[in-house]
Amino acid sequence: MQNTIKVERAIKSMTQADLAEKIGVSRQTINAIETNRYVPSTILALKMAKLFGKTVEEIFSLERGD
Amino acid sequence: MRLGLLLPHKFKWIGFLFFIPSLIIGIMSRYWDFQFAALAVPKKGTSIFTSPQNLTDELALSGLIISLLMIAFARERHEDEFINHTRLESWQWAVLINFLLLLVATWVFYDESFIDVMMYNLLTILIIFIIRFNWVLARNKRLEEKN
Repeated sequence: MQNTIKVERAIKSMTQADLAEKIGVSRQTINAIETNRYVPSTILALKMAKLFGKTVEEIFSLERGD
Repeated sequence: MRLGLLLPHKFKWIGFLFFIPSLIIGIMSRYWDFQFAALAVPKKGTSIFTSPQNLTDELALSGLIISLLMIAFARERHEDEFINHTRLESWQWAVLINFLLLLVATWVFYDESFIDVMMYNLLTILIIFIIRFNWVLARNKRLEEKN
């Protein structure tokens, strides 16, 4: 699964730490999601989408093999 | 999602503090027959509760189990779903490696030395879990600094 969290963060000029704090996870978690080492739960995906004012599909998309 | 069954973060260090003396007493009682005179139980009979014995080794093993449980079940400072995921994955690893080691040991060790293996095997699931879990957390921290 791919995501555009890094881009969305840049648009809102937020650091990983800012985003982590806003959705109540650790910075490590944001980093792991951005580098595709961890697929977040639906709850977390929805929280991020809400924060960025987008739909989940605009941020997360399936890759080949998913 | 919240995983229950976890202790406050400070138990990671409390557990470590208990682990060191328990390990020292355990090794000394196993290999040098060290015993606390005060823990001698002079009873008559054949069961563990009634036969004359010394409780030093029981104390050491209990200390080792309890302290390792404390370390393994201590909450991380920021426990979230990713840590939780890493935790569960590390348990899976620990069980697998534990039994692979036991399988190898079954064919490599005999008699007396197999008893030692069984004794270590009482603790290896917890030890492998603690090492693997903390190693992954440390690796994540390194990757995070790189990004």
